[in-house]
Amino acid sequence: MSNHARRPAPNTRAGVSNVTRRRFIGRSGVALGGLALGPSFLAACGSDEETLDSGSGSGDVTQDTKSLYFASWPAYIDEETVALFEKDTGIKFNYTEEYNDNNEYFAKIQPLLSKGRAIDPDIIAPTFWMAGRLIGLDWVQKLPLDKIPNASNLNDNLVDPTWDPTGEYTLPWQSGFAGIAYNLETTGRELTSMDDLWAPEFKGKIGVLSEMRDTLGLIAKSLDIDISKPTAKSLQPALDLLAEKVDSGQIRSFTGNDYMDDLSSGSFAACIGWSGDIAQLSLDNPNAKFAIPESGGTLWSDTMVIPTGADGVDAAAEFMNYVYDPVNAARIAAFVQYVSPVKGVQDELRKMGGDSAALADNVLLFPSEESSKNLSSFGQLSDEDEAALDAAFSKIQGN
Amino acid sequence: MSAQKNRGKRSLQVISALVFLYLFAPILWIVVFSFNDPRGRYNLNWSSFTLQNWLHPFADKELTDAFVTSLQIAFLAVTLATVMGALMALALSKFRFRGSSAVDIFLVLPLTTPEIVLGASLLTMFIDFDWARGFVTIVIAHTLFCLSFVALTVKARISGFDWRLEEAAADLGAGPWRTFSRVTFPLILPGVFAAALLSFALSIDDYIITSFNKGQTNTMPIHIWDSYKVEFRPEVNVLASMILVVSVVLLVGSSVMSARRSR
Amino acid sequence: MAGEGRKNGRFVPWALLSPGGLFLALFFLVPVWALARIALSTKPSRFEDPAFAWDFSNFGTALSDYGGQFGRSFLYAGLATLFAFIIGYPLAYSIAAYGGKWKDLLIGLVVIPFFTSFLIRTIAWTSILGPQSVVTDAFRGLPLVGDDFNFIGNMWSVVGGLTYNFLPFMILPIYVALEKIDFRLTEAAGDLYATPVAGFWRVIFPLSLPGVFAGSLLVFIPAAGDFINTRFLGTPKTSVIGSVVQDQFLVQLNYPVAAALSLFLMAIITVAVLIYSKLFGTEGLAA
Repeated sequence: MSNHARRPAPNTRAGVSNVTRRRFIGRSGVALGGLALGPSFLAACGSDEETLDSGSGSGDVTQDTKSLYFASWPAYIDEETVALFEKDTGIKFNYTEEYNDNNEYFAKIQPLLSKGRAIDPDIIAPTFWMAGRLIGLDWVQKLPLDKIPNASNLNDNLVDPTWDPTGEYTLPWQSGFAGIAYNLETTGRELTSMDDLWAPEFKGKIGVLSEMRDTLGLIAKSLDIDISKPTAKSLQPALDLLAEKVDSGQIRSFTGNDYMDDLSSGSFAACIGWSGDIAQLSLDNPNAKFAIPESGGTLWSDTMVIPTGADGVDAAAEFMNYVYDPVNAARIAAFVQYVSPVKGVQDELRKMGGDSAALADNVLLFPSEESSKNLSSFGQLSDEDEAALDAAFSKIQGN
Repeated sequence: MSAQKNRGKRSLQVISALVFLYLFAPILWIVVFSFNDPRGRYNLNWSSFTLQNWLHPFADKELTDAFVTSLQIAFLAVTLATVMGALMALALSKFRFRGSSAVDIFLVLPLTTPEIVLGASLLTMFIDFDWARGFVTIVIAHTLFCLSFVALTVKARISGFDWRLEEAAADLGAGPWRTFSRVTFPLILPGVFAAALLSFALSIDDYIITSFNKGQTNTMPIHIWDSYKVEFRPEVNVLASMILVVSVVLLVGSSVMSARRSR
Repeated sequence: MAGEGRKNGRFVPWALLSPGGLFLALFFLVPVWALARIALSTKPSRFEDPAFAWDFSNFGTALSDYGGQFGRSFLYAGLATLFAFIIGYPLAYSIAAYGGKWKDLLIGLVVIPFFTSFLIRTIAWTSILGPQSVVTDAFRGLPLVGDDFNFIGNMWSVVGGLTYNFLPFMILPIYVALEKIDFRLTEAAGDLYATPVAGFWRVIFPLSLPGVFAGSLLVFIPAAGDFINTRFLGTPKTSVIGSVVQDQFLVQLNYPVAAALSLFLMAIITVAVLIYSKLFGTEGLAA
């Protein structure tokens, strides 16, 4: 099904990596090695990373069971859970919100992981397609599932997903879906299908996401293309339609999360947007609405993975086990307000009462059976197809 | 003649007021919304007036930490860049020497480099040197891109100077330090001051280069940009307004002091 | 009129240059050197490190595919520089000539708005000039302006954003050049020339040229590489070379092409600056 082979990872073993390094820097590296100020001077300022011994997997790295470093997205966990985890396990928990863009983060870790050096975090939270890429590059290690019994609480539709067919490398952190976000006051009517985005009165007032899989996925579904087995060829009609709408000026721009203020002000009549964003925005602006298009929406997940060479594998396992307990998962979901991957969260929310109980009935957190049928994940792409699609998608954006 | 000059002065003052209005238009919005009490996480629509944000501006610990870090970094980077840049400007303006045009071009080059490339190249270099990425590397990066701004601004000030003033001081018996502090420095000071202001603005608002070289340290623009994906809190407006207010107060204070001194 | 320094002054300029020079050499030249090597490298696959191979094809790709973006970058940067000059010079002059003892405060007020985050300023502007704002409605009421007029989403909004965000970098250098002028010269000039305006052009303006020169560099050069304004205020049709570099680097992971594009950009701007300084007639690159 998915062309998702585990390629032998180049340049991750020290022997090869040294050669690459030398070629990469050239003589300048050697000449300036004389500036031995480097390590000793700045080590005093606090070291940021460790270097792997050659040929190491997690087994060779000295494990620190007392502290955990999780690099995740902003506003993805509540403070109470962080504090409770520390209290209940005695593990010093460093949770940061430095993971804010998959490509940016990849560019920051690539110089290290490609040379076989470890990065600092024990857990990172790549979106599903990036997790797939990291698995293919051998930059993440198998989860110690024997230490994560609560993993059995994983929602059935997320077990052995397309990006991790054996389920050994990732556990979803939160999920969500992409659909049509619109400003009811500006549009004057409810929107229900992708065709609504192309209405002439919205010319220049439509935004789409720069996240390729959500934008192309939604458009492809509206053209009846199966996105669970995507190829560059099968998605060509979607690319063509997108290019046409950009050319005609129907689509004004591609956005990241920053479509919010334009949507709120009516500068965008409608966008392709994310469920959780609108859940929040609608509190400030009741005109902000979200709809899963009739042709279907795209389901995405942010995952937890353990990078190769991490020194907190056991602590990471404890954390994953902790957050897959429905009680803790419910507390997190009440704050984050995205789709929790853990079974039983809906009931726990009801038990919590008050605002949290109301969330149990929120369709953006718990899509109905009917809506769920309409949601699907973008399948894994082969490396060639991914490169081709990324390039074509960028061209449409003007790059 | 005088009436014409007065009319010219008046119209210039009107234009200046308009330009100031243009410069401050977004600031007014920012300050107004610092008094908003948003119902959700996005401070984008006016909901109701509150003083709470100003009473508890440091409620968001991470934002406050990032705020303090940004100020520390800016202070260091501005100082380093201003000193080094002013020295370079002095050297290039005062002396004719072989290689001065090469240095001129060398100074302009960092400005021409796209930020992402500069950021990523620095990152790669720091990794290869095994330097931990954090506060120090951010300061280095900020100093780097401020240096050219400083040098060019101070040069604009110095150009056309009559350096015989310095020789005259020396002839009168002043040592090199006295000559510098009594003659040269006061003359270049407005240029240095302006360069420092511009550098501060550059440092306090840098995203891309900082993002690549920050390790785990967080600065305010990083925090604001990253958290914007999920929230846009009024504390951001409050802290931004605070920087503005404090800067204005400092400027007024120093103006009053120098006005008194010159009397 | 540059002094020749004292007898042992041969070393003085280099001594003054060395702190900054060494800093730049280490933290700028070394990365640029690495950049040049990457530009001449090939990547065996998308996720591997580039391998140096004297591969010049990246430069060919850079040239052939991105002419439009290069052109737009320079156009927008040029327009922004022009507008910044037109808007900024009168203010710089006012403060220098009429600021009196409040000069420092006034010039500080020019920069202070930029102690805030670009994101917040842009959000504020898109609020103020958004399609449902009072200002936009007023504009739509003007003759010749259509009802679907929008401030945002076209070339002029991008240029406007660039102009606004780089304005202090034009104003401050002009101000520091003007500030050292004794404005009694204008009175003398006024007596000599028929009108104060002529007096200004013949006497004051030439003295401010070093500031204008520096200001235009400090606006044009960074504006040419900027992509953030077009990202927020523009459309795919207003894309600039900065966006391409960003994309090639982060998304396509095509470091060699990104490096080649950057080097091109740097080279073109440097050449343009050299030509500009020749035309300006100032000595050296910046008087």
